[in-house]
Amino acid sequence: MGNKLHGIMAEFDTATELVDAARAVRDAGYTKTDAFSPFPLHEIDEALGIKRSILPYLIFAGGITGLCAGIGLQFYVHMISWPIIVGGRPHFSLPAFVPPAFELTILFSAFVAVFGMLFLNGLPSPYHPVFNVPRFALATREKFFLLIEAKDPNYDYDVTREFMESLDAQEVFDVEE
Amino acid sequence: MANPDNYKAPAELNGLRTICLGLGGVALLAVAVGAYFNTEQAIRSWLLGFIFWGGICLGSVGVLMLQYLTGGAWGVVLRRVVEAGSRTLPLVIILFVPIALGVYFGKAYEWTHLPADDYSMVHRGAFMTSWFWILRSAIYFALFGGIVYLLNKWGQAQDKAGSVEDSRLLLERASRFSGPTMVIYCLIVTFAVVDWIMTLDPHWFSTIWGLLFVAGWALSTLSFSVVVLTYLMDKDPMNGVLGKKHFHDIGKLMLALTMVWAYFNFSQFLIIWSGNIPEETGWFLTRMKGGWAYIGVALILFHFAFPFLLLLKRDLKRQARLLSMLALFILFMRLVDMFYQIGPTPRVSGELEAGAFYISWMDVVAPIAVGGIWLWYFLGQLANRPVVPANDPYFEEAIAHGKGH
Repeated sequence: MGNKLHGIMAEFDTATELVDAARAVRDAGYTKTDAFSPFPLHEIDEALGIKRSILPYLIFAGGITGLCAGIGLQFYVHMISWPIIVGGRPHFSLPAFVPPAFELTILFSAFVAVFGMLFLNGLPSPYHPVFNVPRFALATREKFFLLIEAKDPNYDYDVTREFMESLDAQEVFDVEE
Repeated sequence: MANPDNYKAPAELNGLRTICLGLGGVALLAVAVGAYFNTEQAIRSWLLGFIFWGGICLGSVGVLMLQYLTGGAWGVVLRRVVEAGSRTLPLVIILFVPIALGVYFGKAYEWTHLPADDYSMVHRGAFMTSWFWILRSAIYFALFGGIVYLLNKWGQAQDKAGSVEDSRLLLERASRFSGPTMVIYCLIVTFAVVDWIMTLDPHWFSTIWGLLFVAGWALSTLSFSVVVLTYLMDKDPMNGVLGKKHFHDIGKLMLALTMVWAYFNFSQFLIIWSGNIPEETGWFLTRMKGGWAYIGVALILFHFAFPFLLLLKRDLKRQARLLSMLALFILFMRLVDMFYQIGPTPRVSGELEAGAFYISWMDVVAPIAVGGIWLWYFLGQLANRPVVPANDPYFEEAIAHGKGH
């Protein structure tokens, strides 16, 4: 083993095989795993034991921040920085503050949703070791791949490689770092 | 193709029908006694019940067309419930008769007694006469009736369709029909609720009024349907059809409509608040005083904020029982909302000044009377036909969708 390995990858022909293999991998106690498929597989999260994303909570926090920022901005402008009387109403006129506060709530939530999604997925990622396996390009077309990373606590090259080969995979690859 | 005969409604519905009819009948007697002593209050309370329950019937027409337009699994499992809701229209027309009589004999609606030179009467001319008001309602019901008749006819034909092609053709026809008719539907609802509710306060007007009811009634309908589907969920045949994903989808729509309801209401408030013109602000000023103010705050908190925050949670939307409990709560708040619209309007008899805070016992009993009778009729309609469109080309797909992750 000259190069350090990123992990071991197995190739499958069908989605069902991938999901079955993913269950076996999870049951064997591996946690640093990933699956690749040409289309979304809703069962795979459960099969691999992937936890629900915390993104919804981040978006909610982002929305609350936007709401406070919207109210705060208008409070500062209308009460502290430059109080002017508009239409004979009090400086602090909550009904008029609602639309901008609402818009900022949406804006902040949307920003957190987009950038939070990118961040949690580790994107943008200009280099990723899985592409060192030439056949991996087929993951966008017709093949299904399952990866166990070398940093998994249960990872041991010989044991893991043998385990992967026992999963009825088409082929098992070493993924170079 | 699946056999629609395998999807007959469960027999338990019959027991439920009897209970509803009994409850409605007793309440109806009580309202009849109340009407003898205080006719105007009885008609106002009846109107409250009519707008709430009739709203679920007319909302069902809207949701039925909506699901034909959008497609999707939620629409397939929901279709027969809202079809049954739309077929309650004949009963709703009968329930409307006391209100029409109230207008005809001038027992309710302040405008039936306003002098001809009152500025709200002058420019409206024949529009504010009893006979024309009743004629207009007849036209609305006739138009609703046409929509309900056609959509239900095609739905029934689909059950008898011999091949997938026939079934697909019927679905396409219903979808094509629903597009332009949805526009007409919103127009009829706008005219209808302006007549039925906005004219209670003849000096006030709002142009978003119709949309408030289009959205509110759709929310009522979806909430009501969730309760019905939850009831059917663990009984044959729906136990093989419904999945948590269906409830998730309908829950998302409830969330959207809760927001739309709040958005329309706030738009109405903001525009009137900004304009600050006495002839418009009166409506809100009345409702920001005394007991009405508490109801107004309760609507913001419990018709909007509370359901909104709960419906954000994915887990709640996927648990049918929790979702239907929230749906029942939303339905209750819909009734409170209707009371908030109708309650403070001026009365024909001078016994209460306009805007006085007053809840009559009939405001509780009349919605029960209307509701009991309506539910009895609705459950009968639901049991009449298979509870799912088993011949729909997307039926299998819709079941699979519900079982998905």
